[in-house]
Amino acid sequence: MSQLTKFGLILGVICLTATLVLAVTYEVTKPKIEEPLKKEEQSALKSIMPSADSFSEKTLDEIGYFEALKGKTVVGYCVRVVGSGYSGYIRMIAGVDLNGIIQGVAILEHSETPGLGAKINEIRPGESEPWFLRQFKGKNAGIIAVKRDIDAITGATISSKAVTDAIRKTVDELLSKLKR
Amino acid sequence: MAKTKLLGEFVKGLWRENPTFRIVLGLCPTLAVSTSIVNGIGMGVAATFVLVGSNIFVSLVRNIVPEKVRIPCFIVVIATFVTIADLFMKAYAPLLSRSLGMFVPLIVVNCIVLGRAEAFSSKEPPLKSIFDALGMGIGFTWALIVISAIREALGNGTMLGFSLSKTFEPPLFMILAPGALLTIGILIAAINYFTHKRQG
Repeated sequence: MSQLTKFGLILGVICLTATLVLAVTYEVTKPKIEEPLKKEEQSALKSIMPSADSFSEKTLDEIGYFEALKGKTVVGYCVRVVGSGYSGYIRMIAGVDLNGIIQGVAILEHSETPGLGAKINEIRPGESEPWFLRQFKGKNAGIIAVKRDIDAITGATISSKAVTDAIRKTVDELLSKLKR
Repeated sequence: MAKTKLLGEFVKGLWRENPTFRIVLGLCPTLAVSTSIVNGIGMGVAATFVLVGSNIFVSLVRNIVPEKVRIPCFIVVIATFVTIADLFMKAYAPLLSRSLGMFVPLIVVNCIVLGRAEAFSSKEPPLKSIFDALGMGIGFTWALIVISAIREALGNGTMLGFSLSKTFEPPLFMILAPGALLTIGILIAAINYFTHKRQG
């Protein structure tokens, strides 16, 4: 057996073992990884749309959203929004009523700098919701902007803008498409 | 005799050959994640797991793997353990996994791990390699804890998330990259100064 085939075989065997081990680990951890994400989304929905009692998942032109229902009437929409932050995507969910007035915003996942951008989701001691996100309540989602409606976080202008701009863009797009 | 030797392999990583302060390896994750103590501990534990796993495996196959393809083999072994650590962290410690973000998968390129595989476990039996890995891992962890405690206290005004003082306005740069470089530089300088002084 030539040296080349021998080397290839050894490397191949090691890679095969690694693949098997990883496949098993992936299957074992997959449900555990997805379960809290689903739960988080559900509890976020309730906190940003306290007036609704049920939610039904919909998609329109690749925008994922939930219809917020009170009994059988639609009272608003919870829109999945992805913003491009300082160091990665910011996944959030924004609740608006039928006129596009923001009822609440929740951040599901982000990787902003701790101590700076991460303050977009910081809860002050003794409070129940992040202080940055509270600013969004009652503002019109279609025209919301940093400086005018939202005070940016010191040292984290990019993160603050990313959240605000993404909400404005996605919600506005969805609402105008729904009206048509 | 054998016992003291094993202990020696363990202890050397804690101080004399501490990966962060003495060998000065693996600085990239050290600079990046040492912003809070929790991050430091999480990174340390994940890196220790990868070190122990890959050291055992590399040591077991050290006589089968030919010299010429050893590096790709080591990388595959290390990458496997890193992915296992990453998946388990995502499943069982999702908050920690989120705050460490990209840096868990990046343990693959941590010089400490490949360094130990190349310099130690590819030449030594498994038991010795385990002790070497544990020493190096714990040495890395305590170094991270010290650095992140200083940075968290000065840069964010907290300790393990608890607020230290209400009137102190923390200087932001301690949480950012310059703070990491300054902290590590001053610590290494201090350690060098005192070891030299002791040696006379």
